[in-house]
Amino acid sequence: MSLPEEAGLRTRGRWPPPEGPRAAIVGSRRPSPYGEAVAEQLGAHLARAGVIVISGLALGIDAAAHRGALLGGGVTVAVMGTGVDIVYPAAHSRLAEEILAAGGALVSQFPDGTTPRRHNFPARNWTMAALADVVVVVEAAQGSGALITADAALELHKEVMAVPGSVFSPLSVGTHGLIRDGAALVQNARDVLAALGATQEVLDDPLSAPKSLGIAPLPGRDGIVSHLSDVLALSAAEIARKLQLPVAEVLGRLTALELDGAVRRHHDGYVRALHKDKKPA
Amino acid sequence: MLGAVDSCTLAGFEVRRVEVQADIGHGDTKFVLVGLAATSVKEARERVRSAIKNSGLEFPGQRLTVNLAPAELRKEGSALDLPIAIAIALARAGKKPPPHTAFLGELALDGAVRHVDGILVAARGLRMLGFERIFVPAADAAEASLVEGLVVTPCASLKGVIDHLLGIETIEPYVSSGAQAIGDSGSWEHDLAEVHGQEEGRRALEIAAAGGHHLLLSGPPGAGKTMLAHCLAGILPPLELDEALEVAQVRSLLGELPGRGALDWTRPFRAPHHGVSMAGLIGGGSGIAQPGEISRSHHGVLFLDELAEFQSPVLQALRQPLETGRITITRSAGSVSYPARFTLVAATNPCPCGWAGDPVRSCRCTPGGIDAYHRRLSGPLMDRIDLKVGVRRVKLETLASEPTGEGSAAVRERVVAARRSQLDRQGCLNAQLKPARLRKLAGLEPASRRTLERWAEQRGLTARGFHRAWRVARTSADLDGAEHIGERHILEALGYRLQDVAA
Repeated sequence: MSLPEEAGLRTRGRWPPPEGPRAAIVGSRRPSPYGEAVAEQLGAHLARAGVIVISGLALGIDAAAHRGALLGGGVTVAVMGTGVDIVYPAAHSRLAEEILAAGGALVSQFPDGTTPRRHNFPARNWTMAALADVVVVVEAAQGSGALITADAALELHKEVMAVPGSVFSPLSVGTHGLIRDGAALVQNARDVLAALGATQEVLDDPLSAPKSLGIAPLPGRDGIVSHLSDVLALSAAEIARKLQLPVAEVLGRLTALELDGAVRRHHDGYVRALHKDKKPA
Repeated sequence: MLGAVDSCTLAGFEVRRVEVQADIGHGDTKFVLVGLAATSVKEARERVRSAIKNSGLEFPGQRLTVNLAPAELRKEGSALDLPIAIAIALARAGKKPPPHTAFLGELALDGAVRHVDGILVAARGLRMLGFERIFVPAADAAEASLVEGLVVTPCASLKGVIDHLLGIETIEPYVSSGAQAIGDSGSWEHDLAEVHGQEEGRRALEIAAAGGHHLLLSGPPGAGKTMLAHCLAGILPPLELDEALEVAQVRSLLGELPGRGALDWTRPFRAPHHGVSMAGLIGGGSGIAQPGEISRSHHGVLFLDELAEFQSPVLQALRQPLETGRITITRSAGSVSYPARFTLVAATNPCPCGWAGDPVRSCRCTPGGIDAYHRRLSGPLMDRIDLKVGVRRVKLETLASEPTGEGSAAVRERVVAARRSQLDRQGCLNAQLKPARLRKLAGLEPASRRTLERWAEQRGLTARGFHRAWRVARTSADLDGAEHIGERHILEALGYRLQDVAA
């Protein structure tokens, strides 16, 4: 299956990807812990169900979606706004390597050596929509690039879906707008799988548990983890106050848990990680 | 007839000896001043002429030549008035001044000797050049007497000084009332005991104070960043003698020393507004550059609130002093170097609106806006800040209750002990340890090293980031009284970072 749009792509890794439905997960570069958790879980569950997860290798939702797909043991494709030889942001070099190692691909419509240029990213978003069967938007503020991907998907007659968020959050403005305009509401991976017309075997997956997207959080060897939330970032001081422990000690233990992948840092706070990195990096 | 006395001129902290020679010879009545004098020194001719006349002395009605030697050295300021007048008087009297003696002072037209800036700097420099006696304006005698081993003669009027030198009437040397401590009463306007919650911020302050680490506080408006920053002053130990003298020298140059014979042992705390100019922060002005805020906060704290609002070039200029503890400024009249070893405390909002990351209020900024905001803070300046801490708003119910944390005095005791062990071990604070010395002096236990290396690899830590964590861990260990850096120290140190502000 080769779309006409794929003709001019530069690629690294396995291309075209294995047969299978393709879902693009896109959203804010500065998501809330909630959005990041959703993107990561969607990525994991969809990948586990055999969906090829497409995203843009950007900070935030994009990276969480790729990471989730890798955790789910699946194939993920990064559609880049730079040449395939230039990973942007550079901090994602390791992520890019992992995508390749897991049988995924980096693709770009731009020639090798293209550096990040503001005007290249909207075009990249179109490519992403073209390569995907559905586009799922997770947290997008007004004017977010993810909305360009959604517009492109509509023009290309692809399904657009959106994950709702808090009505207090500016990061929900874009996604709620999409839902208001008729985008399908995503509450869990099953909703996406249904839109993709996936089969019964997929629904047998443990993720069909209707309660939430969630996999049980890792039982950390440190009791601190049980005091953390998976969507609301708590600061070390807040945790120390709760546990009546010196903050220096709590900070150290949190760092140790971060090293093990059991908690994740979000600005100045900590959230429970929902998956442990299989490879201790 | 020739008269000659010694004086000096200042270029920043540098003191250069100046020999003032006066020659009264035959020829037309004329007063010639030679020897690369700046405008302020050339004006001395008029002041000296009037001061001598109005002191009841006769101004020579012949050709008078005053030479300021060495001729290639540029001379600034009005402090040469008195030595010029004395040289003329001694030339007329055919006398020599007492040995190893220097004169400084501005003259009023009536012959009174007026205050000049920088007396302490001059006195320390002259002492080091081997001078034993110094004649200074009476108003500045206390300041000069802070320098040990120097006999200070206070000068009220030109007539008095000349009478003293001619043996007519003796001026008694200034006797210091004894250098008492002023300032460090142990009580502070801002005490940690008044801080609610903010455990992480408090701990970071303690580490900053103990190791001399620079600190960034990030948090929404009203979270208490400013309060925390002000508390740093109260947990720092008082100045040591040498430090107090250096601090006083900066104030002396700026003419801000109180006319008392006591040193101020309080560490400076400076908080310039974010509109401050380059010259205001770094030092500058025309002619010889004056010390700026960074030198005024030498051995103390420089607090920059709303860091992202400062002009970018001004912030970039902080790099040299943050690295070396000195600033060198070049102006038309030459280049001067001032000390500027301060602890930087910077405060910033996490985003332009201030609410990013807040659990309750939502941030109204666009991702692009936040990126642009952080770009202003990123890079070389952030690289030099060892501690980065998020400060969150304290819940209202917490504010209503009594604060439960320790007071500044208790924290200060630990800080003092930790600083002492650093100075005993390495002669400087941990924040000033260069990587090579860090490796040699701040040994890591094997487990600590493994943890740090694992983190570095996992997170792609830069070499600077690696050493930052190492230095902070050393201070944490010093606060613990631990000889080696344990794993918990490293783990704690790695926690003082902000995910979104350039790490």
